Amino acid sequence: MRRVFGMGIAVALVAAVAAFVGVLSRATAQGGGTIEADVKYNGAPMIETIKVNKDVEQCGKEKKIGKISVGPNKGLLNAVVSVADAKGVTTAKAAKPVVLDQKGCEFHPPVLGMLPGEIEVLNSDGILHNIHTFSTANPTLNKAQPKFKKVMREKFEKPEYIRVQCDVHSWMLGWIAVMPHPYFGITDDRGVTKIENVPAGKQTIEVWHPVLGTQKKEVEVKTGQTTKVAFELKK
Amino acid sequence: MTPVATRRRPRTAWSVGPLAVLLVVITVPALVWARAGDANAGKAVYERKCSLCHGEKGDGKGPGAERLDPRPRDFTSGLYKVRTTADKIPSDQDLFNVITHGMPGTSMPTWAVLPERDRWNLVAYVKSFAAEKFKEQPKPQELPREVSSSAESIKRGKEMYEAIECNKCHGAAGRADGPSMPELKDEWGNAIRPANLTKRWKFRGGSSRTDVAMRLAAGVLGTPMPSFIDSVEKPDDIWHLTSYVLSLGPESPNYATLVSVGAVDGAIPDDPNADFCQVIVDPRNFNPSIDLMAVRAVYNGSEIAFHLTWDDPTRSVADPGKNVFADAVSLQFPPRLQAETERPYFLMGDSGNPVYLLGWEAGKGVTEANASGPDKVTPIAGSEATGRIVFQDGQYRLVMKRPLASKDPNRPSFEPARFTPIAFHARDGGAGETGPKMSLTSWYYLRLEEPQSNRRFVVPPLVTLVTVVAMLMIVRAANRRTADN
Repeated sequence: MRRVFGMGIAVALVAAVAAFVGVLSRATAQGGGTIEADVKYNGAPMIETIKVNKDVEQCGKEKKIGKISVGPNKGLLNAVVSVADAKGVTTAKAAKPVVLDQKGCEFHPPVLGMLPGEIEVLNSDGILHNIHTFSTANPTLNKAQPKFKKVMREKFEKPEYIRVQCDVHSWMLGWIAVMPHPYFGITDDRGVTKIENVPAGKQTIEVWHPVLGTQKKEVEVKTGQTTKVAFELKK
Repeated sequence: MTPVATRRRPRTAWSVGPLAVLLVVITVPALVWARAGDANAGKAVYERKCSLCHGEKGDGKGPGAERLDPRPRDFTSGLYKVRTTADKIPSDQDLFNVITHGMPGTSMPTWAVLPERDRWNLVAYVKSFAAEKFKEQPKPQELPREVSSSAESIKRGKEMYEAIECNKCHGAAGRADGPSMPELKDEWGNAIRPANLTKRWKFRGGSSRTDVAMRLAAGVLGTPMPSFIDSVEKPDDIWHLTSYVLSLGPESPNYATLVSVGAVDGAIPDDPNADFCQVIVDPRNFNPSIDLMAVRAVYNGSEIAFHLTWDDPTRSVADPGKNVFADAVSLQFPPRLQAETERPYFLMGDSGNPVYLLGWEAGKGVTEANASGPDKVTPIAGSEATGRIVFQDGQYRLVMKRPLASKDPNRPSFEPARFTPIAFHARDGGAGETGPKMSLTSWYYLRLEEPQSNRRFVVPPLVTLVTVVAMLMIVRAANRRTADN
């Protein structure tokens, strides 16, 4: 009896060690480098103020549309940072749908990053919106979403930056960044985003902003280390 | 034979027998060839008939394009408004239909004059401008089984119209005056107007029940009009909405060239919502903001009244800083109505032959003026005209009254049974129209019907009575003569 118990423990130990080693080896296979991007904008923010003439209850009387939103310390908000042509990864698919909400007559988030796959479009406002995309690689979409249609499921299969608008509320403007791999991030109000598990080696880091365009920088990603990249976008 | 037949025929052919098979063998290749079209042959036709507007490269930038509103289609985009497909590209048949029937309300005419083969060749050539997009065969847009129109269907359609907020663009009464209307842009960033649902003869893709249901289901690509097939409560609602949309206006505008003015006894109501008889004129369409005006008129012993109805998506008073001007209309007459005088120049007269204008302007009310050219308008002091106006759901309704006769040589006197020239001007100030920038017509005619006297109620019964009495007398005389014998 004791022998059996002892063997059980031994097997469990071996299994645990094997699992641990497995996790480690997978981590190293992924490259394990982290990129911390810091995106600054050295200019005045571009905010448009729009008087609302309909659906005031849901939209409010006034809308402030941040075409270029800048946080404290000149951090640029809502820029997409990604590893351009990431080596070692061919295709990636989203495991579950990402969510784009229409709330207060605005798109949340204003810039949505996703892997090719499904997206759930919510209508939290309970008024008519129409989801109108301007895409080239993916089929363009223009579908009405009346108040009783709370969720719509759509698909974006090909990587590109897609402009999204609502014609009913012309100020509503959003972007969907369909990325070919999981190595991307969207900057917060400090202009910072972290991308983890980036394959080690020479990589090109790209930043994209709907108004300010694109910038690229080459970095050396090292396993288990954080590499900092600083960008400064100009008009 | 329509190309649709090619799809049906083979199935029956196999069961019918060898003769039919032989028929198919002969006809199908011919039709398929016609359907497929020859892009090279289409190019030759295109360059003669289409390139002036659509451009040699198919980019919608032909020499005539600048003067057209809406703009000609840019074929390189592969985006088409009228589709019966669930995909983003139209079927060949859709393109063929647009070439054949044209697009009502735009500068695209019908090309039914071209041989059918030329039209199929054009389809092939037009597709070649966006060959990449046409690589895959489009899937047809399925529609739920048709529900015919009925009072209930229209009622349900109205409910849906409100629930899915069609009014946001098309307006509460369908007159294209919704709150989102001023912001609408097409795919290329040009301002675009929603359809006025009360004028179905201008629906771009046709106004049959299937046409309307299809536009609702599939949307209108390149415009803000989205697809609603997945966005109604029940699939049948597409048909109910169709019923409602088609109930909003008449089938055709019933254009007329003569305004017949009825004579009435007693006072003429000046309530713009009151009932009048109707005649509609079709103003010449320089800027398509106001394209139709319904005119009705009556007169009595002392005055004449005009009732005008027209759609204007924006109610506007003058604000020149914002390029917004006052909405205005006017009726134009020659100041003197002698039969022998020549009619003044239709565009507000000239120095030798002026016109009289009876009009209304937002902020000013009813006005009278003389004009001897578009930029030479002199208001007449001491206006004798009065009027009332209402504006609701994108439509103006105006009643203007004026004494029938005038001693002033600058004002016309209206006389019964005379053909009086009349022309119409309308300005949508919200669309930047002012001065000579307006919708206008050439001369039409107005005729005051001769008053009908009360004698019509006396004479015919009297004649009847006399006849009956005379007949009775004859019968009686004849009877007496028989009795005497």
